[in-house]
Amino acid sequence: MYIGSKSVSVNLVLFKIVCCGFFPLQVLNEKKLQEVDSLWKEFETPEKGKETAFLVFLFYTASTALVEGKLSKNLKKILKKIVAKDAHEQLAVADAKLGGVIKEKLNLSCIHSPMVTELMRGIRSQIEGLITGLPSREMAAMCLGLAHSLSRYKLKFSPDKVDTMIIQAISLLDDLDKELNNYIMRCREWYGWHFPELGKIITDNLMYCKCVRKVGDRSNFASSDVSDILPEELEEDVKAAAEISMGTEVSEEDINNIIHLCDQVIEISEYRTQLYDYLKNRMMAIAPNLTVMVGELVGARLIAHAGSLLNLAKHPASTVQLLGAEKALFRALKTKRDTPKFGLIYHASLVGQSNTKNKGKISRMLAAKTALTIRYDALGENTSAEMGAENRLKVETRLRLLEERGIRRISGTGKALAKTDKYQNKSEVKVYDPSGDSTLPVVSKKRKIQEVDEQDTEVAVKAKKFKAEMKGWLLYLCCCHVIVCIVQLGLLKLNYGHSCSFLL
Amino acid sequence: PRGGGGARGGGGARGGGGARGGPRGRGRGRGGGARGGARAGFKGGKKVTVEPHRHEGNWDGLGYTGRDWDGLGGDWDGLGGTGGCPLPGVFICRGREDALVTRNLVPGESVYGEKRISVEDGDTSVEYRAWNPFRSKLAAAILGGIDQIHIRPGAKVLYLGAASGTTVSHVSDIVGQDGVVYAVEFSHRSGRDLLNVAKKRTNVVPVIEDARHPHKYRMLIGMVDVIFADVAQPDQTRIVALNAHHFLRCGGHFLISIKANCIDSTAPAEAVFAGEVKKMTAERMKPQEQLTLEPYERDHAVVVGVYRYWVVLGCTGPPPKEK
Repeated sequence: MYIGSKSVSVNLVLFKIVCCGFFPLQVLNEKKLQEVDSLWKEFETPEKGKETAFLVFLFYTASTALVEGKLSKNLKKILKKIVAKDAHEQLAVADAKLGGVIKEKLNLSCIHSPMVTELMRGIRSQIEGLITGLPSREMAAMCLGLAHSLSRYKLKFSPDKVDTMIIQAISLLDDLDKELNNYIMRCREWYGWHFPELGKIITDNLMYCKCVRKVGDRSNFASSDVSDILPEELEEDVKAAAEISMGTEVSEEDINNIIHLCDQVIEISEYRTQLYDYLKNRMMAIAPNLTVMVGELVGARLIAHAGSLLNLAKHPASTVQLLGAEKALFRALKTKRDTPKFGLIYHASLVGQSNTKNKGKISRMLAAKTALTIRYDALGENTSAEMGAENRLKVETRLRLLEERGIRRISGTGKALAKTDKYQNKSEVKVYDPSGDSTLPVVSKKRKIQEVDEQDTEVAVKAKKFKAEMKGWLLYLCCCHVIVCIVQLGLLKLNYGHSCSFLL
Repeated sequence: PRGGGGARGGGGARGGGGARGGPRGRGRGRGGGARGGARAGFKGGKKVTVEPHRHEGNWDGLGYTGRDWDGLGGDWDGLGGTGGCPLPGVFICRGREDALVTRNLVPGESVYGEKRISVEDGDTSVEYRAWNPFRSKLAAAILGGIDQIHIRPGAKVLYLGAASGTTVSHVSDIVGQDGVVYAVEFSHRSGRDLLNVAKKRTNVVPVIEDARHPHKYRMLIGMVDVIFADVAQPDQTRIVALNAHHFLRCGGHFLISIKANCIDSTAPAEAVFAGEVKKMTAERMKPQEQLTLEPYERDHAVVVGVYRYWVVLGCTGPPPKEK
């Protein structure tokens, strides 16, 4: 029993079965509709159901429009027919929104009430009996098919979102570069036997190959026109060098082989540019925010290094900063030295355009914001690049602030002025030192004593202390002695004459 | 990844399904009974027996007398009681470790890397999949001793909150090819996994829609017999009620898994469960039993009830409200 939305009119019941179409049913007995609660009873058996509703006609239609509550063309057609027949009837709808749309477009009044829901339940439970000519097995299969296709439509499973393409593309790009380099080196060496000067004059690889391919044997240089490949002055040099070259002569076959090789090189170069464009497109489709932040190549390399976009999203920002520098990182950790500050992220344009001093800071900031964009790309629902643009703006602002030597503090509100030391004039006046005037060796006594003293510093200190103590005591004793003498003299004065000699 | 998971599961089953000594005797006795208990015969003599799930409870008229018919007396399966009503479609695998299992609808495939157990039944071999109670609330409820889950072979089940389809696959195993499971899940990431499960099992109908708006998927679902809800939303009772009004037949049953933390994290769990039960009664849903999911989950409960119960009683309408 797979029923679409049901529009029920007081006299007319309209069914929508998902894959099958609309089934307007006529409600025969109106009175029964008044009692909402007992409505279920009417649909207990197929026979009873048939008494209440009667099939009128059916159509085929699509159900995606239904989900969004919009009016599909077929539904409109059917409803127009109904309007033509019974314009004064009321149409009951299961979806209030759909009812609104119907009313607005076709001027058919719709109702949506508990009574309608009950009616729908009843119809739904007896759908098999009411709709003749549709075996349940087929309905089941159709419904399953529709559910799957609707779900897929909802999930929008697109092949654009597969990140394996990126990983393969970037690996192929690297491989191509290596191969290209090998072939070009071989080509230069091989042709260099015949015309060595050309290698020194033309530095650009692709230009060299094109040139060789066009000309072949060096004797043809004078007659051939290579102005579309080489700039003017190079052309002159080449033509001059061709006359006086010291290379060997080569046969037709050898030149043909060299030309084949040049063909290969040119083809691979062209394919490489094509692949790079493809990679750029894929990156924009799969991870637009990441592309905006660090660029296509660096983004693709990060994804390839981590294995997949989802894996990359699971890494913390500090790991994103150091992806690609694992060897240096663990070596530094083992030997307890400073760890590296950047990995693959070093090649991002933002890190490249900063000073050497600030590269570390910028790499950290960039990694932090990049981790956010990666997570947004991997797990988010939208595919816009706004978030990446905002974050890039933030990092660029920070970069500018750093470059201005931190006139304003970066952390906190960013409005406070950075604290600088108060200026103090430390004038250093240099005085002339005359000790360097004489070249005679100077031996001063002071130095000797000082030397001796320095050798017996401890003993000397102790002796000093002892001396000081003794001096103190002696002073104290002298004082006492003096006081005692004074007192006794006093006494003598009182006891006149007798004890004078006694004391002295 | 499903294929790889399957291979792991198969290997694990062979390694882990080994009964030693004692149960073999009982197994022989049980094999003689008319219950369809099966014997396992692996290479190397590892034996495992699978029997239908049974526990103490009411006799529900399925032809089971509940007497102690194998003569061993007492509590031989450790679940309490000697007989009781079985949960059809659910089995228990006895071996070195006992496990709750369901019969695999798609033999040879493991949905989420669970263990698969192959049992020889004469000359055919039947495959069962282990059901993890820590990952599935329904399994936890069954092992907790719920009376009736109402999900039986041939039933039509509406599963709200299907997530990645792990429990849905077990429900699909239980209902078999005659029944249908309508799995509703809103999240796109889980929805992708659910779609993959539905591809393999033809009795699962995936619906990637918000369960709060049943009218949006009304064209995909017919009348169902059971609603199982594991949505973990604060308004989940309202969601279940709305879906019941649309799709659940009169006299149909519902199972709601309630997470107390989700409804109200400040109130005590019992108060939350009581509040939810009250909300249910207001929506013509009569709760019949409530079971907490200890020790598998904390502060979780499963409430089983019947919808528009007066149909079962034969009345014309709900009882008049008491003034």
